[in-house]
Amino acid sequence: MSETLKELEGILNVTLPENLVEEVIKVEEGHFDLLSSASNAYDLMKILHGDAGIYYLSAITGIEREKEFQVCYHLQHRIEEEFREVPINFILTKIDKGNPKTPSMVDFYVSADYYEREIYDFFGIYFENHPFLQRLILPEKWPDDVRPMRKEYSWEQLKEITLNIARQISEDD
Amino acid sequence: MTEFRSRFRTLVDGSDAPSDADHHIFIGPQHPWAEEPAHFIIHVKGERVVEADIRIGFNLRGLEKAMEAKTWRQNTMLIPRACGICSAVHQNIYVRIVDRLAGVEDQISERAKLIRMFSLEAERVHSHILWYGILAHDAGFDTMLHISWRDREMIMDIVEDISGNRVNPALMLPGGVKRDIPKEKRDRARPLLDELVKKVEYHKKVFTEEISIRNRLENVGVLTKEDAKKTTPNGPTGRGSGLPFDVRKSYPYELYDKIDWNLVYYNEGDILATTLVRIDETLESLQMLKQILDQLETTQGELLVRIKPRIAEGKYMTRAEAPRGEDLHYGIANGTDKPERYKIRSPSLGNIDATLKRMDGEYIADMPVILRSYDPCFSCTNRVMIINDKTGEKLIINQDEFARKAIKAKKYNRPFF
Repeated sequence: MSETLKELEGILNVTLPENLVEEVIKVEEGHFDLLSSASNAYDLMKILHGDAGIYYLSAITGIEREKEFQVCYHLQHRIEEEFREVPINFILTKIDKGNPKTPSMVDFYVSADYYEREIYDFFGIYFENHPFLQRLILPEKWPDDVRPMRKEYSWEQLKEITLNIARQISEDD
Repeated sequence: MTEFRSRFRTLVDGSDAPSDADHHIFIGPQHPWAEEPAHFIIHVKGERVVEADIRIGFNLRGLEKAMEAKTWRQNTMLIPRACGICSAVHQNIYVRIVDRLAGVEDQISERAKLIRMFSLEAERVHSHILWYGILAHDAGFDTMLHISWRDREMIMDIVEDISGNRVNPALMLPGGVKRDIPKEKRDRARPLLDELVKKVEYHKKVFTEEISIRNRLENVGVLTKEDAKKTTPNGPTGRGSGLPFDVRKSYPYELYDKIDWNLVYYNEGDILATTLVRIDETLESLQMLKQILDQLETTQGELLVRIKPRIAEGKYMTRAEAPRGEDLHYGIANGTDKPERYKIRSPSLGNIDATLKRMDGEYIADMPVILRSYDPCFSCTNRVMIINDKTGEKLIINQDEFARKAIKAKKYNRPFF
């Protein structure tokens, strides 16, 4: 582990404290997975954004695992002189399923705003200190307790809910 | 803080409108200007835009959820439907993820990779030509729309010839490609490509020398490099503002590191710069297409490698340069024949913030051009080919003609042909 961590530190030109990092996996040449628990993620992101100068966030993925939720920040470390990018998948682990909470990264990335809202919308994961954590994509009449991307909802169930909303709207008109 | 907050934040009651705006213009969700549903809210003071905002979510199809319910093999044909016009690039990323997770990445032959690249570059050419045609239309220069769309038919004919479809070639499969590009099709494509290069060079001349279109695009909606670093646009939008990043160069996939091409970027940051990025890229793509055709003459190899339906546990994120920018997919496999999770981030979403930032302080009259600059997309399947199964006769007609013929056939109870 430490060898991969050293390689990543060499590329980013920073020191990543070992107590914050859970694991570093080298996916392929110049492509890393960086795992950290949700409680340490904010401090680690401060180093990645501030000291390492990663300004580009491609996307955020919400993932449902058997025992926990995960949130993956797809960062790109850009080396402008060489026209090169080093993708880093910064994965936040250990998000409790009963009370899903994780720190918001809006302080560092403007684009984190809507990607996080999308995950809040689809998975019901709360991003602490997000200034505007409201629904982004799902319709206004969608029931609040249904988080469609969770495994507990099947395609058929969601179809039923959607049809009910449509029926309700047409009746209201 | 207020300067660089993300957009997408309009409240339904309008209570968050900036205090110095005196009028609010609503565009959409359904509007003749836009082919796809999005709701733009533009706060103006006099003739100037104070701030612009957007509401999205009118076209949610639940693709990511649908993919979890289908097998990896079925998803190969579902994934191109993510986008109407850049379908090949979505399919390309998908098949590369499956190749990687199934462990056959190294067995894909060079010939298969070249055919995949041909499909991708042909798509970039037709998408870019379509885009600057509509841009000219939005700028009130309809002649250019007709000229560019007329010339676009050449590349559409090539795509149709090699794949059978105009906008959804669907040539790729996990493990390789579906079909070859045989010699007679390569020979048919070459003169068309040569002709198209001349036409696109003429288009470039129009956009750089014609004074009426230049006035509409130059120094309009300037996005400086500093602003671009904060709002993080991708693809041609970013490359017009001096961010020289193209996934084909910055993280090469397929054979883009082995082929000869130049990265295009401009530093001006206005709409003219993003337009020129796209026109120059079209020319680059056309010369790449010619190179690929030449390489196909000598490169041999197996077109398709067999892949088992069950994909071993693992995860992989990869990206590609779609015509509109960086397209990102993240696939997670759990050992069964269905994906555990599949994430798609298409380029337009990342570009909206930067596009709305462009509008601050601009004239209302420049709004259509600026809103068009991030390239919203629509599909153009406006005709069908009918083949008579008894005689093998082929008949290509457009939608109106098809409807007329169908109505007549029904009315007089006679065969279609």
